Amino acid sequence: MKTKQDFPSINERKAEGVKENGDAYKVLIVDDSMFVTKQISQILTSEGFDVVGTASDGQQGVEKYKELYPNVDVVTMDITMPKMDGVSALEQIIEFDKNAVVVMISALGKQDLVKKSLLVGAKNYIVKPLDRKKVLERILMSLNQ
Amino acid sequence: MAGESRFTSIAGTIAQAQRDAEREDERRQDEHIDFKMVTFSLGGKDYAVDIMKVKEIAKFGNFTYVPNTMHFVRGVYNLRGEIISVIDLRQMFGVPVPDEEKAQESGLIVRVDDHLLGVVVDSIDRVVGISSSEIQPPHPIFADVNIRYISGVVEHEGRLYILLDVERIFTREDGRADGSGLESHGAPGMRGGAGAAGAAGAAGASGTQAATGKQAAGDAAPSAGPAPDASGAGQSSAGAAGADRQAGAVARGASGPGRPQSAAADTDVSFIGEALAAFNAFHPSPINADWVARRFEEWKAERSRAGKEIQLRTEEDAAAFVHPFFSPYTEAFWGEDYLERVARTLPDDDALPGNLNVWNPGCGKGYETYSLAVLLRKTYPEKRIKIWASDIDLLSISTAPNLVFPAASVPEYYREYLVEGTNGFSFAEEIKELILFEYHDVLHENTVPEAGVILSRDLLSMLPQEAQHRVTADFSEKLGPGGIAIPGAQEALDALSGWRSVGGAVNAYTTVGPSSRSTT
Amino acid sequence: MRVEYINPFVESAYNVLKEVLNSEVNRGDLYLKSTSMPVLGVAAVVGLAGDVEGRVLFDMTKETAINIAAAMLEGMDLEKPTELDDMGKATITELANMITGQSVTKLHNLGFQFDLTPPAIFTGENMEVSDTGVEALIVPMEIPQGKIEINVAIRERS
Repeated sequence: MKTKQDFPSINERKAEGVKENGDAYKVLIVDDSMFVTKQISQILTSEGFDVVGTASDGQQGVEKYKELYPNVDVVTMDITMPKMDGVSALEQIIEFDKNAVVVMISALGKQDLVKKSLLVGAKNYIVKPLDRKKVLERILMSLNQ
Repeated sequence: MAGESRFTSIAGTIAQAQRDAEREDERRQDEHIDFKMVTFSLGGKDYAVDIMKVKEIAKFGNFTYVPNTMHFVRGVYNLRGEIISVIDLRQMFGVPVPDEEKAQESGLIVRVDDHLLGVVVDSIDRVVGISSSEIQPPHPIFADVNIRYISGVVEHEGRLYILLDVERIFTREDGRADGSGLESHGAPGMRGGAGAAGAAGAAGASGTQAATGKQAAGDAAPSAGPAPDASGAGQSSAGAAGADRQAGAVARGASGPGRPQSAAADTDVSFIGEALAAFNAFHPSPINADWVARRFEEWKAERSRAGKEIQLRTEEDAAAFVHPFFSPYTEAFWGEDYLERVARTLPDDDALPGNLNVWNPGCGKGYETYSLAVLLRKTYPEKRIKIWASDIDLLSISTAPNLVFPAASVPEYYREYLVEGTNGFSFAEEIKELILFEYHDVLHENTVPEAGVILSRDLLSMLPQEAQHRVTADFSEKLGPGGIAIPGAQEALDALSGWRSVGGAVNAYTTVGPSSRSTT
Repeated sequence: MRVEYINPFVESAYNVLKEVLNSEVNRGDLYLKSTSMPVLGVAAVVGLAGDVEGRVLFDMTKETAINIAAAMLEGMDLEKPTELDDMGKATITELANMITGQSVTKLHNLGFQFDLTPPAIFTGENMEVSDTGVEALIVPMEIPQGKIEINVAIRERS
């Protein structure tokens, strides 16, 4: 008897946000904009990622990371935020967990900022406006490094 | 003898007729021009508007279309920062609008009760001067609805002009003059041939009377006061109106010393001034009054030799009149002769304390700025120099920071500061870094500190008189001790109080008086 | 305003609006305005710091703001907004942030040190913004959703 497994489904495609073992990648989104948080969340959850937390400023971001640790696979980090900016938050997260995977997402694309972030330990840097393809590509790239 | 007396009487009649005709001619010559109007065409007919109501003749580029307005409201237009409503008179009067969409429409900016309104027409003709006694009341053939927009009709040189009363057209019943709530009307004026008594053609048949609703025609202006003295002249008190106009004209023109005595001369010069201002070529004021007077004499002679008339009727006329005004090396690098004269006029190094700040409003494309920068660098090798250069013409000022030019256009004097590029030469960084080019309106607040040199050639005369006043006051305040101001070659700052000439090789002034910080 | 600063703002406004709204974007003529200016109803403000001090103000009617928010939120499984709620405001603020951010990036590439501060949004009737003694560059942008007036007021930091 042929089972479903014998017939490859044309429509089936591996959701990119899901690991080999079937678990979803866990994401912490740090951004002071409700809109951006929603936008990133939308893009990622549609590909099977699991958004496990959000934070609206750098300080909150660091706290959330520590709280959720080790159950965060990737952090998306805005740069311009009140209270504590993204680069400072990045620094603290890396200090806490040197293997943290943090991807900067910002409206600013200044060379010196990009360099600094990468030096401090960010895995990648995405400049807004965001498009779905770019976001997924860069986040997966960072996870697979 | 009967025969003799008959001939005598015929001869007498002829002679009488001749005398009458001569007197008529004399009368015509004596009737000096006391009313000027801007003429234009609308649906093939000639119309005119009192020049006193016209702020400017304009070409309208991009409108911003405003929805929910009457169809004749074209939208709003940005007139150098001020948003004004634009009305298409053709649409308003139901006159066919030509099919082709022009990139730029011709029109007038009219002033009604302190508001400016843009008015689109088919084409602007010229400025015509007449005697106000020539204005006839509108022909009774016009239907009621339209007659109120007509001040009168004028025949001039074979053409019949319908003189529109802009105030009536653009003022609502309650006295608001903001372009809102305008009604659509038929065209005033006769259809079917000028002068014809063709009744049917007259406005009555035309135009729908659209309901006056609340229309949002661009900016909602606050309610204005009662309409000012009707300019619709010629109805009755032509003489009085004429006199008023003259007085107004003289007041508007240069208020400098010693106006010529003759009333006719007065009128002509001040009307020249108005035409210049209307064409936005030039604004007479005490600063340039001497030049205007001298130029006017010259112009009169020139024009009568050429058999042309004195009045400025077109933009070309205005430009021709103003042409000799401009300072040497306008829009060009200063030649060595001029550089030398400026150098001799500059204060001594020790007369200028501290850093040398320079203010250069109205710098255009920057030729004079670079010229001055190089001159200052060579004259004061040790000083820290900073030049604030600005202009309101975006296109010109945008090219200034990276000005590129052929080597041939630059005198030897500048050589050491030039660098060669792919498209030509430009100035070396050490000169460029002295200059800050800004897109800036000199009438707005600026952040220029106290300056040792103010270079502003021909700018003042391009500003309306009140603005000239403000800017020169600003110059006075900003000029530091020992500093000099260099206006245009034909601009005399010492016509104003608080300034005196430094007697330099170029036209230059410094401040005097108790508020002055001049060291001399 | 310094000539070199103009293009980055103009280009960024065009680029970001085009990309985010995916529609026709037309730029009106630039001009200069001084001191206090009436606000159309919704104003998003982003602060500038660094070589200069000042701010960029994005001015539009409430209707335009709602239309823009609707366009940007399209496809995000949210109800189409009919009012300017918190999400709508966050959307407009983000638009302001992106345009200013891209401008600052371009200016940086030209050698100017600019920074931006987190944006704020103001809504209300008959609002007026008064910046004493500052001249502003106005960049009018026309989009299908309405008109946005970008108002840049910058002062060189001596």
